[in-house]
Parts: sequence; structure tokens; C-alpha cells
Amino acid sequence: MDAMVCLRAASAYSSPRLALKSPTATSILHASKRPAFLCIRNVAAIEIGQEMSSRNDSPKVLLKVEGLTAVVAGTDTEILRGMNLTIREGEVHAIMGKNGSGKSTFSKVLVGHPDYEVTGGTAVFKGEDLFEKEPEERSHAGLFMSFQSPVEVPGVSNMDFLRMSCNARRAAQGLPELGPLEFYGFLSPKLSALNMSPTFLDRNVNEGFSGGEKKRNEILQLAVLEADLAILDEIDSGLDVDALRDVANAVNGLRKSTNAVLMITHYQRLLDYIKPTFVHIMEKGQIVKTGDALLAKQLEAGGYEALSAGS
Amino acid sequence: MAAASIATSSLQVSCSTIAAESKLLPRRGFCLFAPGKSISLPPTLATSSLGSIIGMQRHPNLQISIYIDVKIHGSARKNFWVKNSATAAEISSSKQQNVPSFGPDDFVFDLAEKLEELDYVSALSATGKEALSHLREHSAETTLSLQWPTNKVEAYRFTDLRFLRNSNVEPVRQCPQDTGIELADFGIRSNADIHLVFADGVISSSSSNWKDGVFVGSIAALSDDHIEEFVIKKLGKSAEWINTDFFASLNGIGVRELGVVIVPEGVKMQSPLHIIYHSSEGGSKDGEKQSYALSCPRLLVLVGKEAEVTIIEEFVGEKGEFYWSNAVGEFFIEEHGRICHNYVQNQAREAVHIKQTCVAQKQCSSYELVEAAIGSKLNRHNIHIQQLGPDTSTKMSSFLLAGQRQLQDLHSRLILSHPRGFARQLHKCIVMHSSGHGVFDGNVKVNRYAQQTDAGQLSRSLLLAPRATVSVKPNLQIIADDVKCSHGAAISDLEEEQIFYFQARGIDPQTARSTLVFSFGAEILQQFKNKNLQQRAEKTVMEFLQSEGAIKTSIQEA
Ligand SMILES: Nc1ncnc2c1ncn2[C@@H]1O[C@H](COP(=O)(O)OP(=O)(O)OP(=O)(O)O)[C@@H](O)[C@H]1O
Ligand SMILES: [Mg+2]
Repeated sequence: MDAMVCLRAASAYSSPRLALKSPTATSILHASKRPAFLCIRNVAAIEIGQEMSSRNDSPKVLLKVEGLTAVVAGTDTEILRGMNLTIREGEVHAIMGKNGSGKSTFSKVLVGHPDYEVTGGTAVFKGEDLFEKEPEERSHAGLFMSFQSPVEVPGVSNMDFLRMSCNARRAAQGLPELGPLEFYGFLSPKLSALNMSPTFLDRNVNEGFSGGEKKRNEILQLAVLEADLAILDEIDSGLDVDALRDVANAVNGLRKSTNAVLMITHYQRLLDYIKPTFVHIMEKGQIVKTGDALLAKQLEAGGYEALSAGS
Repeated sequence: MAAASIATSSLQVSCSTIAAESKLLPRRGFCLFAPGKSISLPPTLATSSLGSIIGMQRHPNLQISIYIDVKIHGSARKNFWVKNSATAAEISSSKQQNVPSFGPDDFVFDLAEKLEELDYVSALSATGKEALSHLREHSAETTLSLQWPTNKVEAYRFTDLRFLRNSNVEPVRQCPQDTGIELADFGIRSNADIHLVFADGVISSSSSNWKDGVFVGSIAALSDDHIEEFVIKKLGKSAEWINTDFFASLNGIGVRELGVVIVPEGVKMQSPLHIIYHSSEGGSKDGEKQSYALSCPRLLVLVGKEAEVTIIEEFVGEKGEFYWSNAVGEFFIEEHGRICHNYVQNQAREAVHIKQTCVAQKQCSSYELVEAAIGSKLNRHNIHIQQLGPDTSTKMSSFLLAGQRQLQDLHSRLILSHPRGFARQLHKCIVMHSSGHGVFDGNVKVNRYAQQTDAGQLSRSLLLAPRATVSVKPNLQIIADDVKCSHGAAISDLEEEQIFYFQARGIDPQTARSTLVFSFGAEILQQFKNKNLQQRAEKTVMEFLQSEGAIKTSIQEA
């Protein structure tokens, strides 16, 4: 069944309600080990969904992806095979799934990476067709993706890059550019929120950065761009305990009732810090299962085998 | 043999991704054409998505040699300078043969005669004259046994000097006392900033000669004792090679004065020493024949044990003048000594610039060159470096920018003959125009006794116009068997992944391309020790790129 449809009304706003329901779900799960867990969650969600829509104050949809299929550009290697996902303001979504299931591809397709070609389906971001826009226009519209492995750019200082990026978005919004000093004032608190030393600004973009430093730098860019939807591709991989806490705190610090986060991760660890409203499991280019935070816990405990056994 | 199969496979992979149509033929040993990313990659046997590395261990007598001659043809997509296809490569004959000598060459004979007639500067003492006349005599002999280099000589295969030979070459006779340049424009604010200025090959001014035991100035200001102790022992003796090179010899005959730098044992100079070579006199046009005014500036640098110095050499000249600057610099570094050498060639666009840099490095010493070649119509820089003792470190970073009708040529040779040597070379070249040409021949020779050498060499070229050409030959000759060496060459367009990264952060692709083209060179320019020099070089490069349409004009300066 398409769990996503039932669940989509559940949002951060409704999380107290969800939390109320959760113990029930948990106890059932514990009582009967494997069975109808998801089914029960979905019933709960439908209840919430109906309640929410009847109150008619459900948060605005930020992103709606329907039936998205994509191939590697210039080939017929299909990687995304009918992705459906709706993200509303205030929500945190997590996508999990085995290596190679298409998680990074999905996020790259959303931001317009030239390696992939969309062959079907739609993606509407803030009411506009995402696929009509150039990658930079998607960024201006408020879509952000942190790269799983960001590229190094020798010869371009991080400071210049951040400022160019910030000013590009401001120009698109009709705001005046920030000069170097103003920009530094704007940047400074964001830098300290990430526990990053200002020396990172003088260094070239990602050049010689450690894995963890690159991830911090990605989040710094997110902070500068103040995006409405942040897609974070494995922001937790390669981070030590302290770095994970810093990065997660920074992401939480950026959350508002009007923006949303889509995280891609393999581990529960990150979800302990940034609590997901929904967890999706991806397999072979599709979302095959959707649940809440418990789904990730179940996955952590039993692996993908246990999940498929449970469905 | 594991090493062989890995090297070969990375060759194929790289070729298909970078230069789709290039053909590479190994001459001897391995041949590698690899997109390189960083010369500091681990030198183990590995291939990575960023670049390919070959590590060779315990395979004596390997010679790796490739000559990649890449031409771009056809026009590109959206932006004309962007996507190009690279075509066929040729492999040179790997023998470094010398031209057979058939007796003196008339043109050379004439030129040598004119140079020999030149007077020394008047202030020179008898001992000073003696020192220089040794060099002159020796150089005259050598020159007459050599021929004007033609394309038949391997070392000048891509460097067409016929136009020079078909011109009149007249040595500059009267040297101006005042160059008319503003020292402040070079970041020299007062006499406290140590400097030396050459005007058309002879010294026109300098800061005070002696300061804190350091000598900077003309040989004419040195005492006879010092000349005997330092100059006579060292001049023309940095390497045997310098006495066999045609242009070095020509310089030797035409030398009228010598710039000398002596940094005594243990002295660590904090501020840089700035040497400006200015050319003002140009040749006239005499009927059909263009005349070039030749000057032969020469520099001798002696750095004592545990002494340290940063030397800036800048070559500039009057716009629109036809001159030929044929310079030689010899650098001697004693044990544990250190030279940071920052060199900018920004000659007038009609000028010919030929320079020899010869470095003799004793045990535990360090020599680091950062070079930017931007100006002149024909630029040829020969670097010759010898590590004369163990634990010696050599780094070379060069950026060459070739625009319309410009040839930027770098030939370097680094010889390691002792244990635990360290060597890094990064060569970067941008060719912006179809009539521009970049040439690089970088030889690193690791001799039998140079065990545990750690050597890395990388060449990257960016071709921004249809039919723009580079001929690159990074080559590593390894005779020792216990060494770590990495080596690679890439001729490419900008990296798509980088452009996308900019776009994903809201920056339009044209701005991204412009920034990336500029940063390609800035990676080298950033290594200049002197901020003022760096900023000036960046400005010059930026303006040049803009004037040739290689980048957009509104790009924000770094
Ligand atoms: N440019 C490409 N060319 C060819 N195949 C590709 C390309 N990009 C992705 N693929 C393939 O598509 C599949 C999905 O890749 P993707 O990177 O999206 O996986 P992922 O779910 O993010 O995996 P991981 O958890 O390892 O990060 C993989 O089999 C991958 O090899
Ligand atoms: Mg991935």
C-alpha cells in the first residue's frame, strides 16, 4: 500500500499528537515482535490526516514528487523507477536504503545534476515545476542539497565562494549584494554555530578538508543560503561524535516552521539528533516503505532483511 | 607484474574520459596519460577517481616518457571556450640528440661578434673584468661550436625560433640610467625594501648594497676579495649544462655586468629581495626585416649554510617594443640553505623572452620556485636543478598563460643523485587562443643512488579555444629501485563536477566557468610569498583572460 499518501498530513505541527500515539505503536511492536506494526501506524496517521484536513490548517506542501523516473544521461540505465514523495513545511524526512538503491541519484535529480535525465513524472517545488528550472534557479528558489562527497575547488577561497553564492541568491531575490565586511558579519555567527575556525574561510573550497570538515562546510553553505528545503546526503558519514553533534545542532538551529529537511542516512545515530517525522525506505529506485522514526530503529536492529520480512 | 597492469589500465581509462580521441604510444617502459588532481596523492600503487598514480618500486631502469601534443579542433557548445575535443597525440623520439655541428653558423657568428664588442660597465674593477671575461671567453667558444636551435633538435621541437633568426638582432649598447618605472608599482616603497633593477641588461639602481651582512648589487660594488672569493669560483659553474646550452652561452658572451646576491651563513632574511629586469629599447623595422634589441642580464645568487632568502624576479618592458631579453640566473644553495624563488614574466607582447635558471643545491637545502609566465610573444624558460646531497628538497610550481600568437614554453630538468631527495612539480598551462601554444617538457631524473626519493610531477593544461595547442611531456626517469614517484598529465576542459557545484549553490554556469578558469591559475599564483606580487600577478592574469574573452568581464576579483 502507499503509506506515503496516508502519512503525508502528519507534520511537525502534529507531532505532539503523533507522540501520543507512539507508545501504543511501540507497545504493540514489542508485544508481537514482527507483525502489523506498519499497518497500525498508518491507521493512526490516517486519523491524524483526517483530523488535520478537517481543521484545514495543514502546513503548505513544499515539494511534491510524483512518479519520477530517471536514467543515467545518454543511456537507458534506469535508476529512479517511480519515486513518490511529498514534503510539507516543518517536516523532517529521512530516506534510508541499501547502497546503490538510488538515494543520491534522487537528490541529485532534484537539484538538476547533468549526469541524469528525467524520463517521467513530476516534481513541484513551492508550486513551481522544478524540472523547468536550471540548477542555479532551483538554488535561488530555496532548494539545497549537501553533496555526499563535495568536490574540491583549488584556487577559489571558501570565503569568495560563499559570498558569490550568497549574493547570487540575494540578486535573485532583488536584494542588494553584501560587501566583504557585511558578509563577514553575516557569516561569523553561522561559523561559530558550527564550531568552525575562521581559517576555513581563507582556504580553498574543500581543498585538503577532512571528510568531517567537508560536511561542516556543506552545512555552512546551507546556513548561508537559508534554504527552504535542505536535502542532506549522508551528512553523518565520516563524522566523529563531536562533529555529528555540531552538524546536527546546526541543522536543528536552522529549522523553522516554514522549512523542511530531507536526510539521507544509513544510521539511527543521526536520527537521534534530528528527529524525523517520516522515514522512507528506498529500494531499486522506489520508496517501498514509509513509517516514522520507529521504522529506522527497526532497521537498525534487524537490517533490511528484517524489514522485508515484516512487510 | 602488477605495476605494469595497473599503469596500463589507468592509461586506458583516463584516455577515454579526458581526451577521447587521443592516441598514446608508449616508447619505452610505461606510458601514462592520467588526469591528475593533486601531486600529494599517496604514491602507492593505486588508481583513484581523482587521478591515476603509478607507484614504481623495485623496477630498475624504468623510463616513463610521453609526449602529448594536443590540438583542439571544432567549435564548442554553448560557450565557445568550453568543451573541446582533444585529438591525436604524437610521441616524440625520446632521444635527446644534439644537432650535428657543421662548423659555425653565420648568423650565430655575427651575433657572437656583435656581443663580444660590447663594453663592460665602466665602474667595473680589473678583477671584476677578469671574472666576466672568463665567462665571455668560455661562452664564445661554446657558442661557436653550437648551432642556432631548430625544430630538429628535440629540445626545440615545438619552439619555432625561425622568426628570430630571420630578424636583425642588435645588442643594446646604450643602457638607460633611468628606467622610468615607478618602483612603488612593484611594491617597493623605499630603500628599506631590498631591490635591484636591471635596465636593458645592466644594473641601473639598487637599495644599499650591504645590509645585515647581505650583499645585493652589481659586481662593480664588490671588493676584489669578494669577487675572488665568491664570483670567480661560482660564475658559470652552477652546472656543466650551462656551458652547453646555446642561449646560456649567448648570454655569457653578451654579459656586461653581473647582479650578485650573497646571503652569508646563518642569515635568514625576513623580507623578500626584489629584482626587476626592465627592457626599454626595442628594435626598429628596417624594410622587411624586424629588428630585435638584445640584452643579456645575468644574476648570481649565493646562499650560505642555513641561510634563507625569498627572491622575486620580475621581467617587464616597454609596451610595443621589439626586444629580446636573454637572461641567466645561477643559484647556489649551501647545506641547509633555503631559497624561495618567485618569478613573474610579464614582458611586452612583442618581446622575446628566453631565460635559464640553474640551481645547485647542497645537502638538506631547499629550493622552491613559483613561476607565472604571462607576457611576451615567445617565452622559453629552461630550468636546470641538481640535488648535490641527500635530504634535499625541490619544488616547482609554474603557471603559463598563452593568448593570441603566444608561445609559452617551459623546459625543466631536475636531477636527483642522492638518497632521500624530495621533489614536487606542478605545471599548469592555459591556452586561450587558436594561435596560442603551450609547451612543457619536465624531466625528473632519479639516479641510481637516489634511493628513497619521493618525487611527484603533475601537468595540467586547459585549452579554451578551438585549435589551441599544448605539447606536454612530463617525464620521470628512474634508475634507483627504492623510490616513490607519481606522475601525471591531464589536458582537459573544466571539470563538470566543479561547475555543477557552483550551480547547485546558485551561481550561473558562466560565472562558474570564469571563476574556475581564473582559479586554475590562481592555484599557482597563491603560492607567491609576497602578497603584493600575488595581487599584481592576479590582476594581470585576470585582465589578460578578459581581454582574450576567456572569462567574462564582470567577474569579481578574488
Ligand atoms: N552517473 C552514473 N553512471 C552510471 N551509473 C550510475 C550513475 N550514478 C548512479 N549510478 C548507479 O545508480 C545506482 C544508484 O546510485 P546512488 O549513488 O544513487 O546510490 P545510493 O543509494 O546513494 O548509494 P549509497 O548508499 O552507496 O550512497 C548505483 O547502482 C550506481 O552505480
Ligand atoms: Mg549515496
